[in-house]
Amino acid sequence: MNLITVAMFAAILLISLGITAWAARRTRTTVDFYAAGKGLTAAQNGFALAGDWCSAAAFLGFTGLTALYGMDGALYAVGPLVAFCTVLLLIAEPLRNTGTYTIGDVIMYRMRQPPALAAAIVGTIVINLAYLIPQMAGAGLLIKLLFGFRYDVSVVLVGLGMIIYVAVGGMLATSWVQIIKAVLMLGAGAIILFLALAGVGFDPLVFFASAEAKAGPSFLLPGNLLKNPFDEVSLGLGYMLGLAGLPHVMTRFYTVPDATTARRSVIWVMFLAGAFFACTTIFGVAAVHYLGPEALRVGNPGGNLTLPLLAQYLGGGKDTVGGQLMLGFVSAVAVATILAVVAGLTLATSGAVANDLYVNLFKKGKVEEHQQVLVARVTSVLVGVIATLLGILAEGVNVAVLVILAICIAASANFPVLVLSLFWRRFNTGGVIGGMALGLISSVGLALIGPAYLGPNAIWPLVNPTVVALPLGILGAVFGSLLARRNHEHEKRFGEVTFRVQTGLRSNHP
Amino acid sequence: MGNAVKLSGTEVAPDAWIEGVESAEFKTLIDAKQRSIVPMIVIYIIGYMGLSVLAGFAPGILGTKVLGAVNLGFVLIAGNYIMSWVLAVVYARISANRHDPLVKVVVDMAQATRGAR
Repeated sequence: MNLITVAMFAAILLISLGITAWAARRTRTTVDFYAAGKGLTAAQNGFALAGDWCSAAAFLGFTGLTALYGMDGALYAVGPLVAFCTVLLLIAEPLRNTGTYTIGDVIMYRMRQPPALAAAIVGTIVINLAYLIPQMAGAGLLIKLLFGFRYDVSVVLVGLGMIIYVAVGGMLATSWVQIIKAVLMLGAGAIILFLALAGVGFDPLVFFASAEAKAGPSFLLPGNLLKNPFDEVSLGLGYMLGLAGLPHVMTRFYTVPDATTARRSVIWVMFLAGAFFACTTIFGVAAVHYLGPEALRVGNPGGNLTLPLLAQYLGGGKDTVGGQLMLGFVSAVAVATILAVVAGLTLATSGAVANDLYVNLFKKGKVEEHQQVLVARVTSVLVGVIATLLGILAEGVNVAVLVILAICIAASANFPVLVLSLFWRRFNTGGVIGGMALGLISSVGLALIGPAYLGPNAIWPLVNPTVVALPLGILGAVFGSLLARRNHEHEKRFGEVTFRVQTGLRSNHP
Repeated sequence: MGNAVKLSGTEVAPDAWIEGVESAEFKTLIDAKQRSIVPMIVIYIIGYMGLSVLAGFAPGILGTKVLGAVNLGFVLIAGNYIMSWVLAVVYARISANRHDPLVKVVVDMAQATRGAR
């Protein structure tokens, strides 16, 4: 156990709990609980978005993938930035103008039919759980490694932390936990970048030449990780469109006062997170340069320890105070990263269950305000407990497939339904159900018979099925709409929908 | 505003949308948005999916050395970062300078209609 890690993590935890206590006093209504009172600034939401979008898979994973697989790791890292182009140009402002707390709100506003809302709820819950379980499992492994606790104890500790953040402090606490984590992550990145570049006279080209010399001539070529060319295309498509369908990131746009602020917060995150993603590529090749490919392969499955190892090396090495300090810092930030991401996921899942399912679907919106808040808090505890249990059960299971699956479903099911709801006059409840069903079933089905799950016995060749599931999801949405009975009243209302999408003005016309 | 629903985060504009949607001002706004957003979408889809397709099907081309050990693939990856950042800044400027004033005209008009009733 590294005492510096423990001390730093304890400090981060104490600050987070202090914020939670502060946020609890400011969280009384549903707008407070789900949307932080819609009072965040563009910069605050931009940092919080960076916190949400940079999971441990980004913080540790991209660096490790680049170190082990060269260019494929860099391709993994640039996609999440390009993804924000889709969000910026098509989603952020319309979503802020149209919904209140959830993606389900947007679908319900457009369709006004319970089956459409039900389909949206299923999409959100499946995506969030698929995203949440690997995060819980990863957190369990990391805490086990850092503090020496048992795996199940580690997962329970993470679950406890996220439940307290969310149930007590709502979106305000969750947002500030994200902001702090993002600042720490960017700070760690800046320090590592400076130290790494200082070692080569600030000429990053040295890393590439040295990495190629040490890891072999194919290191800087694509295809070391993704052997099937269609997997490269799937990766690109999944990122480009999947982010816009991820409920826990999209609900962040409800925390700002208006569409203009939502847009400005996207600009913030594109520079903050984008700079960090670019750095992970430098870190990856720098790790090969400084540590050599063999040292990185030993005891480092998936490369997730590459960044901590690089930080330790740059701090002065294994047995120096500087090395311990850097390793401790990076490890503490990694735990904080996971904790913040699972909190965001728990909150978004609670929104789908408490706001969409209970209040809007079962009770048709007829629930008292204070009761809604209570239901939301209780739901977040339940979601947290379920996520913790699933995290414990996931020990030893290959859960990496679930992250790919979550993004694939988000791109193939949620994204087409969301975009067509906002922009297509002819779209209807049949389309929502068709798109959601076909996108979801083809994503899950193909992932389960693919190599990520079945290994060498795979029936289907692609790890990431987005390249097939996305067209199927779009076809389901289009044909579902065309097959459903045409409703002219519904289509006539599209003018009102467009007006609200563009201006945020809401009509109470029946 | 008898049956106004409190769901919305912003104003409630009873019936105003009918005039609003059909107004010339609203059509101007939609046209302006489409003219700027559609080309940007085309640019980043070509830029990014082009890179993904090349990575899958033409790894040899991406392996062409450009700058020391750095090959065309890494240059195109860097290009995607720059493309995203440039699009972000350009879109932010166009929306602030062109779209937002048009939105304000439409919103003011809708709210004036409401006030008249």
